[in-house]
Amino acid sequence: MKVEEFAKHFEMNVLTSEETLNKEITGMYICDLLSLVMSKAKKGDAWITVHTHLNIVAVALLAELPCIIIPEGISVEEATVNKASEEGVAILSTNKDSFKVACEAGKLL
Amino acid sequence: MRDLSLHVMDIVQNSLSAKSDRIDIIICARPEIDILEITIKDNGIGMDEDFLKEVKSPFKTTRTTRKVGLGISLFEASAKSASGELNINSQKNVGTVIKACFKISHIDRLPLGDLAQTITTLIMSQPDVEYVLNMDNQKECFVFNSYDIKKTMGEVPITQYEVIKWIGEYIDEGIKIIFGGVLDEIHS
Repeated sequence: MKVEEFAKHFEMNVLTSEETLNKEITGMYICDLLSLVMSKAKKGDAWITVHTHLNIVAVALLAELPCIIIPEGISVEEATVNKASEEGVAILSTNKDSFKVACEAGKLL
Repeated sequence: MRDLSLHVMDIVQNSLSAKSDRIDIIICARPEIDILEITIKDNGIGMDEDFLKEVKSPFKTTRTTRKVGLGISLFEASAKSASGELNINSQKNVGTVIKACFKISHIDRLPLGDLAQTITTLIMSQPDVEYVLNMDNQKECFVFNSYDIKKTMGEVPITQYEVIKWIGEYIDEGIKIIFGGVLDEIHS
């Protein structure tokens, strides 16, 4: 499922540019320990994290994750959003918590 | 990173890439002000000012195979999530000093982890480098120097299984003496 379709289906806010929405989501990974995400997340996973630091963009790039989902309405720094747009990584934001997002996405992915 | 010893491993890898032949790892607990300081000091090629300015960014790296490098960024993130900070000083052709501090009692402060294994792994991978581990709790001090061990061992290589095993146990003992009861994950 394309990131754009995914965001629309779950009514998430797209923070990054339109160009970041073309990649394919094939799975999901949830973790806030960045080193673990680097070693365990699979290419194509949408990644849910509460971190918003620039580091998450680097991790997403490294692990080839098409999109980062920030739950619970947590706001994301402008520098992170800009860098993500530049690097082609989508950042989606939602008011739901990680469990809710995962339960819903699990029916589709 | 799950623990501080993994961060140390990661930062020392940078020192090794910078062609250091002596690396000092200084871990100092200051229980009266609730601070743990980890300093990694090397005598490698150092960084110029321009590189130093940007080195904390995850998008700054010397790697040519990919454009992100996260060692310092993640170490800084771990320090900051425990009310601490990370500072870097570097001088071209002199060396680099990285110092991170952590509030010991902070709920997000990472545990020390298996520091003995970090040191023995480093010795095994680059036995020619002089590794100095200095642990301090303001009352007592523990120093391990791989060069001293090598001198004492004479012909016996430092990478020999029994030697490495002894070094691991010796450092573990030092950790207990210095940080037992000071860092709550380590029993005295």
